[in-house]
Amino acid sequence: MRFMDNHKYLFHQLPLLIIALFFSVAPVFAQGDANVNEGKTLFVGKCQSCHSGDMKSNSTGPALGGVQGRWEDKEKLHEWIRNNTKLIASGYPKAVEVSKISATAMTTFPDLTDPQIDAILSYIDAKASGKLDAPKGDAVAAGGVEASASQNNIMYGVVSFILALVALVLIYVNFNLQRAAREAEHVKTAPSLPVYRNKTYLAIAAIALFIIGGYFTTKGMINVNRQINYQPVQPIFYSHKVHAGINQINCLYCHGNAWESKTAAIPSVNVCMNCHKTIQKYNGPELKDRHGNVVDGTREIQKLYEYAGFDPTNAEGWDPSKAKPIEWIKIHNLPDHVYFNHSQHVRVGNVQCQTCHGDITGMDEVYQFSELSMGWCVNCHRQTKVNFNVDSTSGNKFYSIYEKFHNDIKAGKMDSVTVKDIGGLECQKCHY
Amino acid sequence: MNKYFYIAVILLGVIAAGCGAGKDNPGLAYMPDMFYSVAYETYAPAASRLKEVGAHYDGMPVAGTVSRQDDLAFHFDLKHDSAGYAQSASLKNPLDTAGATIDMKEAERLYLVNCGICHGAALDGNGPLFKGGDGPYSAAPKNFKDADMIAMAPGTMFYSITYGKGQMGSYASQLTPKQRWEVVAYIKSKTAAAAPAASAPADSTATK
Repeated sequence: MRFMDNHKYLFHQLPLLIIALFFSVAPVFAQGDANVNEGKTLFVGKCQSCHSGDMKSNSTGPALGGVQGRWEDKEKLHEWIRNNTKLIASGYPKAVEVSKISATAMTTFPDLTDPQIDAILSYIDAKASGKLDAPKGDAVAAGGVEASASQNNIMYGVVSFILALVALVLIYVNFNLQRAAREAEHVKTAPSLPVYRNKTYLAIAAIALFIIGGYFTTKGMINVNRQINYQPVQPIFYSHKVHAGINQINCLYCHGNAWESKTAAIPSVNVCMNCHKTIQKYNGPELKDRHGNVVDGTREIQKLYEYAGFDPTNAEGWDPSKAKPIEWIKIHNLPDHVYFNHSQHVRVGNVQCQTCHGDITGMDEVYQFSELSMGWCVNCHRQTKVNFNVDSTSGNKFYSIYEKFHNDIKAGKMDSVTVKDIGGLECQKCHY
Repeated sequence: MNKYFYIAVILLGVIAAGCGAGKDNPGLAYMPDMFYSVAYETYAPAASRLKEVGAHYDGMPVAGTVSRQDDLAFHFDLKHDSAGYAQSASLKNPLDTAGATIDMKEAERLYLVNCGICHGAALDGNGPLFKGGDGPYSAAPKNFKDADMIAMAPGTMFYSITYGKGQMGSYASQLTPKQRWEVVAYIKSKTAAAAPAASAPADSTATK
């Protein structure tokens, strides 16, 4: 009799056990490694235009995997990252050696703080060691949470699991002891009901379903209108990786209007033909589309010639005015009620293209990297510091009108001014 | 508790999740009349919409349209033929005569963005696309430090940027006339510095 009861109770506890497990493990997935994440943001924004994102191949700058091992003195490495010209001039042998790797001098980053550099270096280590490489799944996995298999998180999960188990065993023991005590005193207990008729369990299940179902419903509703990961098939297989990555063409060569106006221009066919009049065959690394099919680059260039009306055998007879526009499919769509201006961000704010568009130089087919949601905009406006050094050549003289902030900085009341402080959160800045 | 309630909640969740964007579709818009502009926005498919209502639209400005930023000082009307090319040598840089200072930092930026890819950041005709012949671009770009380029009149350079020359295409769509003159001034300022000291170009090749 007792034996039978025990089994029944264990069965009754099962849903509870599952719920408890769910809550004990859930936080593990929510937590990333904040430091590495900060490093990643900084790396993509500041370093990746020259240093390859896989940390293994050389780009404009050398591959950075294991860079900390190559520099004996950590202080000097920090100095190098902040101002390499100065370190070379000082004659530090390692700096002189590194300066000869590439003909292009490295950009200086005087604004980086020590913790920021450490964050970048820890991201480089993590990336180079392959820890961050999530298993390549299909479409859903690509946009999902980056599973950071950090040791700490695994330990945390195991400990939570054990604690939850211990707690459940104790509850179970306690429950049985109480029952035994009651039976000994001949107190009548209600006969236990099967799970599906027990109102307590039904209520718990309903609440759980409400929370989980509500979470997914809300998440789904929020994603209406948002097009993150949108990656349409374009009329020509144009690889940004080949153009902006391997061949180092400046983003502004084709999208020069990002410097001048609201819209970053989609280049007209004549801009393509500036180079492709001469480059008629593709000889670079093998191209693959999203499904892994090999793409013939030379055939794609011929598609361009069909639009341009260009005959490679009669190059001199080409009439650019006969060219037809290529109807590229627009990837980044903002709602009509949002105003966004590229020049304000690229030219005035000095924001790198990669900050919002991701690792464009590594994309064969471009997809929407950022959410482009209001929360995403506002978050960046809260965090981004405005260059208030109006006296230096890098600062924007316009900011000299913010007298109060300049006085506060001088008085030490504030150390930096964010976009938020100069009106970056006002509704009318973007909605009017 | 009604089982239909649960089913409805789950179904709603699935449907709502399906409204988001996928790889190939941009997803659904909530209130499309607030999402898609009624006015013709840049790069919106205006042509097809205008064709539907039978309006004429070819994406080109009306003949004789003058850009709002167009400055008469930069007026340029030489024809794209050999006579025009010959006349271009006598063109003077309006930025020199107007007494205006040229923002060399901006000029350098324009050069690096638009020209450096072929002509090289060091103006030595060896940009990343050419890479001494290893790059994808097979034609050797002009080395601005060569004697013939140093001797070339600024007006001729302006003419070549406007109409293109040899394998080089026209940069009229990428650079305004003012910007073209700034780039010419930048190239001239860099090569003029190199010209008197004959060793300067040799130095730049020695470091390679």
